[in-house]
Amino acid sequence: MKGKKLSEKAVAVTAAIGSVLIMVTVIANTYWASKQAISSTNEAVSAVSAFYLESMADRRAKTITNLINNNFDYMEKAVSVIDDEKIESQEDLRAAIGRMKSLLSLNRFALVDEDDIVYTQYTTYTGGSRHPFLAKKTLDDKMISTVFRYGSSKDLCLAIPIDIKIMGKQFKACFVQIDINDIVDLLAFDDQESTHFALYSENGSNISETELGQLIGTKNIFDATSGNVSEDKWNSFRDDFANAKRGTLTFTIGDVVDTICYEPVADTGWELVVMIRESVIEDQFQEIREKSLATNRRQILFLLALASMFSTVLYYMIRRVAKEKLEEEKENSKVFKSMANTDSMTGVRNKHAYMETEAQLNSWIREGAADKLALVVCDINGLKYVNDTQGHAAGDELIKDACSLICNVFSHGSVYRTGGDEFVVLLSGKGYDTRDEVIADFNRQVEENIGNGDVVVSIGYTTLQPSDEQLHDLFERADHMMYDRKKELKSMGARTREFDEDKQQQ
Amino acid sequence: MSEKMNNIFRKFLIVAFSLVIAGTSSGYSAEAEPEAEDTENVVDFEHSLDDYVPAKKKYNFYFTYKIVHPWWDAVALGMEDAQKKYLDKGIVITYEYMAPDAASYEDQTKRLLQAMEGDYDVIGVDVADEEKISPILDQMIDAGNKVMTFSSSDAAPDCKRIAYVGNTHNYQDGADLTEALCEKLGYKGKVGILVGSHGAPCHEDRAEGAKDTIAKYKNMEIVAVEYDQDSIDLAYDLTMQMLKDNPDIAGFVCCNMSNPVGTARAVTELGSKAVIVGMDHDQEALHYLRDGIIYCLGVQDCYSIGFDTLQVAVKIADGNLPGALFPDKTDESTTIIYQEDAAPMLEILYGDVSQ
Repeated sequence: MKGKKLSEKAVAVTAAIGSVLIMVTVIANTYWASKQAISSTNEAVSAVSAFYLESMADRRAKTITNLINNNFDYMEKAVSVIDDEKIESQEDLRAAIGRMKSLLSLNRFALVDEDDIVYTQYTTYTGGSRHPFLAKKTLDDKMISTVFRYGSSKDLCLAIPIDIKIMGKQFKACFVQIDINDIVDLLAFDDQESTHFALYSENGSNISETELGQLIGTKNIFDATSGNVSEDKWNSFRDDFANAKRGTLTFTIGDVVDTICYEPVADTGWELVVMIRESVIEDQFQEIREKSLATNRRQILFLLALASMFSTVLYYMIRRVAKEKLEEEKENSKVFKSMANTDSMTGVRNKHAYMETEAQLNSWIREGAADKLALVVCDINGLKYVNDTQGHAAGDELIKDACSLICNVFSHGSVYRTGGDEFVVLLSGKGYDTRDEVIADFNRQVEENIGNGDVVVSIGYTTLQPSDEQLHDLFERADHMMYDRKKELKSMGARTREFDEDKQQQ
Repeated sequence: MSEKMNNIFRKFLIVAFSLVIAGTSSGYSAEAEPEAEDTENVVDFEHSLDDYVPAKKKYNFYFTYKIVHPWWDAVALGMEDAQKKYLDKGIVITYEYMAPDAASYEDQTKRLLQAMEGDYDVIGVDVADEEKISPILDQMIDAGNKVMTFSSSDAAPDCKRIAYVGNTHNYQDGADLTEALCEKLGYKGKVGILVGSHGAPCHEDRAEGAKDTIAKYKNMEIVAVEYDQDSIDLAYDLTMQMLKDNPDIAGFVCCNMSNPVGTARAVTELGSKAVIVGMDHDQEALHYLRDGIIYCLGVQDCYSIGFDTLQVAVKIADGNLPGALFPDKTDESTTIIYQEDAAPMLEILYGDVSQ
């Protein structure tokens, strides 16, 4: 298949378009990669944050659960110790209760008798209306309740059923009250500036009185988030609290988006809610985003600069290579052309060149454009004899000598070697104008060479006549004339083919 | 931390304001309805012991009150606060704080006689029945016991008890609540009165105040006066009966803590439009107030009653008598609160509005 020849411009344009496409692709790819990186980072940070929140909530919920379980154990042991003590008066009982309270570092450690009379270290009181767990006549199992004391102070009340007799009275329960502030201290974060937590009752009231960030504060969490999340999410959030489930909630108050994580505290009816101050996560997001964007911007700029530089260098290199290639091609063409039209032995134009010139001149002759044209036919005398007697090397030297003679004399003509011992000289311009003198000079030189034994060349010549239709017409006439001259020179003693053949026959 | 400081500062302001209120009025003024921002002044939770230096390092008291009921639990919290503050000063106070499940002067008499035999520095009584208990108190004084009265009901005026700490204006409380009701009803209509225990001075005094107030308005009529014996269930039954007997009852005056709860339940159940005014800070009653079923409640500062009772008891135990150190009657305030005050009141008293 023969394709269209590619130009330098086409190559350069293709290279430029290719470079631009590569650049655009690289930049687009980098941009996409940066977007992906940011998105992935956001997801990762979000996931880590959620995980972090869940982990914090879970740990703290377990801390409370452990506290409760430990206290239940302590209560069992304390009751066992009191049961073993010899208590004979109310003072003895108060002293024993005081020791246990001190040992357990509790807000209140108390025993309850069958008449709902509560015995503490300093007081004995009828507590039927005061302690919800005494609402039932008997306490069947461990009970956990939240005591809302007047003045908004709150305690966690843990009660266990007991079956001991002290001073002849049957005791039915033991309970402790743990100040929620003590629990809050236990759960406090090191970084209280940015991390918040609060304990909530089933209905969303803050029972720890700790601020859950500035926006929710100590308000009822349902009231604070109502209207800031979809109704479905809000209802689901409430259901989770009601059913002691864990979860997360993302809501918007003002323009700030917050995520909280809530974890039920086993058996208490509480939900522990943890929130990292939104600005901390946002700052982290922002920092990562900015770093990522800055890196990508630098990367893109670097790529642009690199691609531009590369394109420029590539363009000039292609251009230079193309130019060099073209010049080389031109040179080669010239050499090939020269080789095709030059006689390798003599360095003058060869038969092929003559034929090209003949074709061109024929065209001009037909068109009437040719003028002042003379053709000289030259034939070397005695070449065969030299070849046969002195070898081809000597023959070649003879040809070269003949060519030198012809070229020197017809210095204003175009010399062609058209055969082994034949040359044609075309005269035009000055060569034409001086033809007669030059031909005479040539003949005189040849005639002198006969006597000197130097090269002898017979020539015949003619000029363009109006009747000539082609160059060959001139050649024919000149050739005839050359043979006549050859005879003439023979008569003068010059070697000719015939002469040589005669000599060989003798 | 700053939240705690704010809280303390806020409560300090409450104390200061409460003292001003207590010092300038004997109860409240019917002309000046408390506004929502005053709710925190109704009950004063921040107390400090006065400058009195107790003579002993250890005291043992006995207190008995009318009935096991949340109202007296609030008094108990005030007492415990004072006990802890004395303890911080190195003074150990132990005490018993006892009551029957149902108000009864017989039960109270029995408890007092038993207490006489105990080793108590002071015996405190919330008089269940002025007429029946006052002689017992005199008897105890004569026997060398130091006896004081506290919380809602004092003994008879001529009783030998040493001092009284509590509400000294029960009659006025009843009158003021009723005045608010009359105004609400446009000074016309039938009214039912619910009282607590027969003979309980605070209940009887409030009922008297209510009766006298209604008597001032010719278009108003008392159709029934019933005693619920400090039982919510009985208050409910009595109200149901009153509404059946008099379907056109326009309002109820409730003179104790159980009355308004039982009455509100009945009014709600029957769909009556009757206006309810009542006493005290029962959580359910506050919910009814919040929901507009109860029109207003007279809330006594039980916490302060408890705190001051213990302070006065220490002084009495040291042999002091009313005078420069403490008055014969240490008055505690009552504030009428309305619907808009219910939510903050629930928050203050019970910590959880929705509970």
